[in-house]
Amino acid sequence: MPRSRTRGLARFRPRRLGLRARITLLFALGALLLSVVLAGTTYVTTRGALLRQRESAIVRQTFIDAKVMREGLKVANANPAELMASVQSVGTVQITVVNGKIVPSNPLVGNNVLPESLVERVNVGVPARMRFDFDGQTQLGVGIPLVGVGAAYYEIVSLKELTNTLRSVAVALIGAAALTTVLGALLGIWASRRVVRPLAEAANAAEAIAGGRLDTRLEAVDDRDLDLLITAFNEMASALQSRVERDARFASDVSHELRSPLMTLSAAVEVLQGRREDLAERAQAALDLLSSEVTRFSGLVEDLLEISRFDAGAVKLDLERVNVGELVHAAVAVSGYEHDVPVLVLDESAGDAVIRADKRRLARVIANLLDNARNYAGGATRVTIERPDGADGDGVVIAVEDAGPGVGPDDRLHIFERFNRGTGAGNRGLSEGSGLGLALVQEHVKLHRGRVWVEDRPDGAEGARFVVELPVVTP
Amino acid sequence: MMVDVGTRILAVEDDERIRTAVKMALEDEGWSVEEAATGEDAIDAFARSPADVVLIDIMLPGIDGFELCRTLRRSSDVPIVMVTARADTHDVVAGLEAGADDYLTKPFAPKELSARIRALLRRARPGQPGHQRLAFGDLEIIPEEGKVTLAGREIHLTKTEFRLLCELGSNPGRVFSREMLLDRVWGYGYFGDGRLVDVHVRRLRTKVEIDPANPRHVVTVRGLGYRLQG
Repeated sequence: MPRSRTRGLARFRPRRLGLRARITLLFALGALLLSVVLAGTTYVTTRGALLRQRESAIVRQTFIDAKVMREGLKVANANPAELMASVQSVGTVQITVVNGKIVPSNPLVGNNVLPESLVERVNVGVPARMRFDFDGQTQLGVGIPLVGVGAAYYEIVSLKELTNTLRSVAVALIGAAALTTVLGALLGIWASRRVVRPLAEAANAAEAIAGGRLDTRLEAVDDRDLDLLITAFNEMASALQSRVERDARFASDVSHELRSPLMTLSAAVEVLQGRREDLAERAQAALDLLSSEVTRFSGLVEDLLEISRFDAGAVKLDLERVNVGELVHAAVAVSGYEHDVPVLVLDESAGDAVIRADKRRLARVIANLLDNARNYAGGATRVTIERPDGADGDGVVIAVEDAGPGVGPDDRLHIFERFNRGTGAGNRGLSEGSGLGLALVQEHVKLHRGRVWVEDRPDGAEGARFVVELPVVTP
Repeated sequence: MMVDVGTRILAVEDDERIRTAVKMALEDEGWSVEEAATGEDAIDAFARSPADVVLIDIMLPGIDGFELCRTLRRSSDVPIVMVTARADTHDVVAGLEAGADDYLTKPFAPKELSARIRALLRRARPGQPGHQRLAFGDLEIIPEEGKVTLAGREIHLTKTEFRLLCELGSNPGRVFSREMLLDRVWGYGYFGDGRLVDVHVRRLRTKVEIDPANPRHVVTVRGLGYRLQG
């Protein structure tokens, strides 16, 4: 059930990730989001504070310098360049504009350094500052009108160090965010494993139950949420177990119920058979019918019970080392076909090949194949024993051949299914089969780790060849 | 084929119709049949006059077939045939361990049952002429008298156990395969159930071995069979 439901979900969301991947992804995304918000806030706050601090220091210094400049320029014929040199601080570019003439402290600085908007504001008599980019670096320009001397004084300071500091901060924050995301993902993997572990245990348990270990249960855990799943799972397993056991009991009950009347019937028929000569001809014919039907009915019940025991996994093999040649000869001899079907050992080593087998089950296999040939193909023509891969091969082959209509390629697999009577299904005629003979052959052979199949006769003549291949025991 | 008049079979079966039909079929084979519907009835009937062979259906109301088998075995070495539902269940081994000599699965042909009974009633084959007394260390077999002694003390074996021991002793030192013993003791062909031999050997060891877990007389020869030695 859970499997088909999963398949149903998968059909509706074909590309949905697995639970573990989703949990991991969620943890990673959560960590990423949190760390980005934290890092962003930190960066913005730090940047603002550092800029404010640095700028107000520069502005303060510029005001002090401007005051000196103004005093100096009051003196007639004062040289602005000399004045600027007297107040110069490291890393600062000074510009004095006297009566429209621009005097820079550094002759390399051109006229176009100052942004127009800054100049405009200073020109109307307002001290102003402005951040701008020049020479690939952020600069702070501070302009102060020198009232009464018709001049303006500017200082331009590179914020390079501050920018570098901020870049380092940003790099550190991005690194921290990335690390946090990775840690979040790792946490997600760990958490998803913890979440999925009970599911994996449930899956293992379900597999064990499907494999026939019906008493498999999940261990109780001290977790309210998981307890729901575990309780439900264990209840389901118990229900399934009791149902399977009930079915198995039913089969064995049916077995007993059918066997008892069959026992009475077969004993009573035997009493009648002992007095056959005393009966009228018609009564004898009726007795023969009765007798053969009791035999057939017994076989049918046996086959049905056998197959239900295979289904219940209750079949046990009584294995021993068996000589294949002896086994096949003995099996054909007790099958009642020994006068009609020759047994041929085609490879010298085949007859003496040794297999580990339940003799009586393999005898049933051979008997069922011979019965099948009788019922559908007018009887087997021969039974062969071969070593297809030579004496060193790991398999021995027992084949039953007939001269019937053969089995078409489409029927070759289906013919081993239960109650499959081939294409001539409607034509049962005098068939004695239960419809389970070949299905039982397959089950028996499988239990012996062998294979069974049907093919054309190798000599090209019409007819089928049923092949049983069994593993040989290495001496 | 007619058998000795007076060979009595006690048939224990709770289903009246089966009992009646089997009794009729067995009587046609020449046996004299006494019926019992329950294990308790069977114990009473056997105590009154012991039968020559007992046929027990394992599924009995009241005391079951295994228990009945053990109860009879405490006082008798009578051959017992069990009737079980299936050949490949543990019932067979459990029945044999409870003391049954052979088993049949339901439904069986009464002629087959007759054949089994005849095989069980066969006398132990005497050893080769001149072997009046077979000695294997402290284990002595006197086939003619049906006697076995271990360290001078007589021990009691069932008829089948005794025949198994005599077969093993008939050719000292030789290894007997399961097939061979099935054929000689039970009269089974190639497809006889080897568990008959295995369980009987186990039962035999509990009687003729001082330490049945480490047998010194009835020895297993791996992959081949069993051997009797001194």
